[in-house]
This record gives sequence, structure tokens and C-alpha cells, in this order.
Amino acid sequence: MKTMGKKILLIEDEEIMIDLLRKKLVAEGYKVLVARNGEEGLELMKESLPDLVLLDIIMPKKDGFEVMEEKKKDKNLKKIPLIIISNSGQAIELDRAKALGARDWLVKTEFDPKEVLEKVKKQIG
Amino acid sequence: MDKNKKILNEESQRLKEDLEDLEKYIREFSSFLPLAVCMINPPKIIIDINKAFENLTGYDLLGAIGQPIKTIVIPENELNTLLSSARKERQVKSEELTIISKKNKKIPVTVSVSAREDDKNNLIGYFLAITDITEIKKAREGLEKKVEKRTEELENSRKALMNILEDVEEARKTAEDEKDKASAVVANLSDGLIVLDKEKKVFLVNPRAEEFLSVTSKKMFGKKISELEENERMGPLSKLLKEGLENVFRKEINFGVTLTLEVTTERMKIREKELGEMIVLHDITREKTIERMKTEFVSLSAHQLRTPLAAIKWTIQMLLDGDIGEITPEQREIIEKTQKSNERMIGLINDLLDVTRIEEGRYLYKPILSDLGSVVRFVINSQEDELKRKGLKLEFSKPRDNLSRVMVDVEKMRVVVQNLLENAIKYTPSGGKIKVSLKDNKTEIEFKIEDSGVGIPEDQQGRVFAKFFRGANVIRMETEGSGLGIFISKNIVEAHGGKMWFESKEGKGATFYFTIPVKKEFEEFLKEF
Repeated sequence: MKTMGKKILLIEDEEIMIDLLRKKLVAEGYKVLVARNGEEGLELMKESLPDLVLLDIIMPKKDGFEVMEEKKKDKNLKKIPLIIISNSGQAIELDRAKALGARDWLVKTEFDPKEVLEKVKKQIG
Repeated sequence: MDKNKKILNEESQRLKEDLEDLEKYIREFSSFLPLAVCMINPPKIIIDINKAFENLTGYDLLGAIGQPIKTIVIPENELNTLLSSARKERQVKSEELTIISKKNKKIPVTVSVSAREDDKNNLIGYFLAITDITEIKKAREGLEKKVEKRTEELENSRKALMNILEDVEEARKTAEDEKDKASAVVANLSDGLIVLDKEKKVFLVNPRAEEFLSVTSKKMFGKKISELEENERMGPLSKLLKEGLENVFRKEINFGVTLTLEVTTERMKIREKELGEMIVLHDITREKTIERMKTEFVSLSAHQLRTPLAAIKWTIQMLLDGDIGEITPEQREIIEKTQKSNERMIGLINDLLDVTRIEEGRYLYKPILSDLGSVVRFVINSQEDELKRKGLKLEFSKPRDNLSRVMVDVEKMRVVVQNLLENAIKYTPSGGKIKVSLKDNKTEIEFKIEDSGVGIPEDQQGRVFAKFFRGANVIRMETEGSGLGIFISKNIVEAHGGKMWFESKEGKGATFYFTIPVKKEFEEFLKEF
């Protein structure tokens, strides 16, 4: 599989969402790393330099926007494609995320893991 | 001597005759006089009267002579006083006295008295001249009565005047009291009040208005609204009122979370007389706070609900996709039903969130110049399966020429058209027809959607655009619906500067319309949503 070995960092605090997404992505052959808050997510990102980041917005310690801001400043992390998976999807938030380098924005209640997977594939194959 | 004696006798004879002649003359003369005269001796006994006296008193000469004068002229003591003063002062004295006639009639008279003395100053009697003053007295009494009456009238007038003055005073006091009461009402009113006169100049500002606007009435008095000092409170108010004092009704001015005022102007008229304008400032801070708290609560709950709903959605989808293992057809059927319920819940929560955003003024619009036709086409395409499933026929007509392009937030316009189309599908029984059309009125694009559905009961039509409204007839149909779609749609349309309305007859169907103005610059319509 050409997805083999590709590393996805999932930064998400909701345990059930982690379980479901991980299951879906692992089944596709991706290697999934999980961080449960923004701070942990940034550390893990620097450490592992993943191929893609799936990022939640509302999280304990640093939220999604803070993560994106720091990522953008870090030249090693800057280029890593990032998809937001969030509970809400206000135009103003979307614009801000886009400006910070997010490739896509998925609202959890409007997408399911299958569609998330499709978006992931679109970014990193 | 004899001859002399004879001459003397003749002389005295002649003298006597002359004297008798004189007496006769005097008697005749006095009887001819209209003035009643009598003579009394010192003991005040009548010794002579004239004809006029007889006429006046009814006594004849024989009856009168020898009578004490006091039996005819009364009262006795006043008569005596009169007689003695006439004697003492040796002149004619007069007094009003009364005569009692023979027939016992009292006659008012004036009695003039002259005392008679011999050459040695001995009293020999009195002359009394008596004038009947009945007529004079009557006239006088009449006059007196008249004067009395007039006086009484005057007195009555005076009393009446006094009463009137008292009434006026009381009325003035009452008016004063009323004025005080009115002033107290105005002063203690919980609403702020600014009153303008006919020239639109401030002439009254109550303490609440002073407090609300942080100005003193002294500073405002006599000034026009546009001339008022523009502090941070006064500024927004004068800005609102500068656009015209008419038609300001419940306009809200927000001074942060601490104060929100609802401004209403009212023309003051009393019996068709223009008195000026009244500006009422009603404090709705508390209501706004409660509203905000409520909206925040709904917003927060809806957000909180979305997380588990997303988890359920994902779980269901993975179950159905076989990601968690094979499922039996029976399990699949139940899970699919669960999925539907969950999607409905998500839809409801999303609607609620949209409503809270509208209420919080956070419903952002990203207008771009677009063709409403393609928006409508997109929505119709997305509903094709549902139309087929229900066996409904849909007709979409639009002008052959390109429609004028409008500045719209495409996402939000889709929501509007989708809500209207979904409603039409939901409430039209199988086999029914839905007609959608777009019309270019040059200044605006008009959208129309007509269905042959259940319609809206007439008695409920006034509430159609209210939040959570659902027709009584559709609740019975067991169709799903939050009652928020139309509310949201109307708000979106209005935020674009358009209008939304409908016509409906229960059992025949409903037709909904909305318009979007054709404008090149979005600033012209974009409200701070």
C-alpha cells in the first residue's frame, strides 16, 4: 500500500473520536500518533515530524489556533499539511484557519470518518 | 264833642268792619291754601284750623277745636320737642311726624312749627303747618326699597364674586396639585423623558433621562437635538434622532453591557393642537442581559451537544461501513434508523446554533456577486432523491435572459432556498406539485415557491415567522421539523436587504416569496450580522 508508513498526528481530546479515527486510519495503513491537547500535540509534532496533522480546535492547554500559530512559526513544521476537524465551522474561524495554513476544515457533525479519510488521502495519498 | 264822638264811633265802626273784612279775607285765603294749618294755645289745645286741615285729618272745625293736638299729631314726645325747640330758637322748625285721622288712618306728615308771642315775649300759642308726605314717603320708600334691593343685588353679586374667586382659587390649587402630581410622575418615571416644544427645542428633561445620557437638563434646555453636546451617551441618541423624529419606535441603542436603551418618539397633541415631541428612553438592559444569557445558554448547550452527536454519527457510520465488524441485515436496519434520528438531532442543533448566532449578531455573511438561479438549481438538485421518493413533480422556471447578479452569501442563500423547498416537500402529499420560479424585477430578484400542500391555518398565519412555529395541521402529520427554518431564512433574507412573505390557504397549499435587492456594493445591504 502506498499509504504504508505515512505518519498522521491526531491532536484531539475526545477519546471516542480518537478511537474511531485511529481505527479508520490504521485500517488504511497509516501510522497514527495521538496527542490529547495542544501542548502535547506540538511537542509530538516537533519530535516525529508527521506527514499530516489532524487538529481539533477546542482543547485543554493550547487550542487548535495556538497550535497552528506556533506551527506556522516553526520552519520545520510549517510545511506539514494540516486538516482541522472541529465541532463548529463559522466562516470567521475558517478564514482564520486558512490564513494560518490549514488545508481543510471538517465539521465533525457534517463529516464521518470515511469522508475524513478521503480528505486525508487527497492531501497525502 | 258829640260830633267828635260820632266821628270816633263811625271811625271805630269802620275799623271794626275793616277788621272783620280782613278776618274773612284771611279765613277765605287760608281755607283756599292747600297747606293744612292749625293754631294751638300754650296748653297745646287746638283753637283754629283751616279747610286743608279738615281735609287732611277728616275733623271739621267744631270737632277739632278744643282737642289736644297730641290726639291728632303723634308721637307726643317728638311733637313736644319740636314745639319747645321752635319756641326756644324763635324760628320755624320742621319734623316728620304722623297724623291720626278721624278715621284712625295714619298719615305721614311734615309738621312745621312757629311759636307765637305777644309783644312782651309771652307765649300765646303755635302755628302748625302740616304737609302730607305720603306720596313723597312712598316715593322715598320705593327708592329706599330699590336701593335696598340694589344693595342686596350688589351684595349677592359680591358674594357670587367671592364664591367665584374662591372657586377659582380652589381650581388654581387643584390645578397646581395636578401639576405637582404630573411633575412628580414625570420626575419619578422609571423611563427617561425628553420633551421638545414645537420648535423642536428641549424644554423638559426628567432625572432619569439626565442619568441615562449623563447630561444635566440645564445644558439641554432650549437646544435642538442636533445642537446637543456629543458625549458618548448623547452621541448615539442624537445620531438616531437626526434621521428624523418620526417613526422612531423601539429603536435600541446599546452602550455596552451596562446600558441598553429603547428609544421611542411620540408626537404630543392635545385636542388637535400640536405641542411638540416626546422622546421616551426605556431601560431594557436587564431584558437584554437575560436575552444574552439565554442565547449564550442555548449556544453553549448546542455546542456541548454537538460533540456526543458527532461521536454517535461517526460510530454509526463505521458500524454501517463494517469497520467494526460484520453486522446482520436486522442490525443494519435498526442502525440506519438510529442514524436518521441522529441526523435529525444534528439538524436541530445546527438550527438552534444558527438562531443563537442571529440573536447574538454573529451570523456572518460573506457576500459575493452571484447568480441566484444557480443557487436555486443547486438546492433543487440536492433534493431530487427526496422529490422522487415522495412522488412530487417540481417545475422550475426562470427568465431566458441571464438574471441580474446579486450580492449574496451563497451558503446562506442555499440555506434559505433549502428550508423553503424542504418545507414544500414535507408538507405536500404524494402526487402533489411544487412550482419554483425566479423573476427579475431589475431592482430586485423575486423568488417564489408554490406548493399544493396542507397550507397554513388562517388563525396561525401571523406567527409563521416566529421561532419554533409549527402549524397545528402539520404537527398531526408526524413530520419532523424544528420550527426554526423559516425564522432563520427570513433573517438571512432581511440581512441581505430583502423581504420574505407568504400566501396560504389551509388545504390548498402555500406560496412563499422572497426578494433580494440588485446592488453592486455589498456595503449597501450588509448589516452587521
